[in-house]
Amino acid sequence: MNNKLKVLRAMRNWSQAELADRLDVSRQAVNAIETGKYDPSLPLAFKLARLFDMPIEEIFDDGFEGGGGE
Amino acid sequence: MMVSKEAVVSDTGKPAKRPMSPRRKRYLTAIGIAALIGGIMGAWLQIDSPGSSPASLAPLSNSPLTPSFAIGASILWVIGLIISLFIYHRAVDDHEERAYLWAGLAAWYTFVLSAPTWWMLHRAGLAPPADAILLFAGALVVNCIVWLWLKYR
Repeated sequence: MNNKLKVLRAMRNWSQAELADRLDVSRQAVNAIETGKYDPSLPLAFKLARLFDMPIEEIFDDGFEGGGGE
Repeated sequence: MMVSKEAVVSDTGKPAKRPMSPRRKRYLTAIGIAALIGGIMGAWLQIDSPGSSPASLAPLSNSPLTPSFAIGASILWVIGLIISLFIYHRAVDDHEERAYLWAGLAAWYTFVLSAPTWWMLHRAGLAPPADAILLFAGALVVNCIVWLWLKYR
């Protein structure tokens, strides 16, 4: 799954370790999410959304283009 | 007074080392206990093994053990590992938990594939008797490789 974590982190001038501290996870976890090797759990995704003050779907993109209508 | 993390700098102007989070402290404690148990057991076994030369590694041999070591080490292994694992599972994040679970599954599959195969080959006289510690060691090696790969790749 694609995500904007690296960009959002860079905008705040945070290192991976700093972001990891704020999320209470390891630096390896932040790196794995940023590089798309690991999709975070729903609680961690919510934590990220709260930290960046954005909806989850603005941080993560599952590539689904379909409309929600009939 | 509350100080933000951005404001914490040392006298030299470089960013000061961040204080360790409680989760990381728990994590390092769990790893430390596990390493201590391994170190104590290895050293104790080496000292307690009668007739083993300093060059030979007692943990890798199948020579008889003294009852005092066997009882002490068994208690240390079970109690120490339970405490260490309890702290570890309270400290790991989602990412490491996932690595741990997949590594455990890979180790289990290693055991499931190798143990019955070895046992059947032995029953047919094609292999020596199955060695439980060798099977354990094989599963542990697979566990470590998968865990390291998923955590640090």
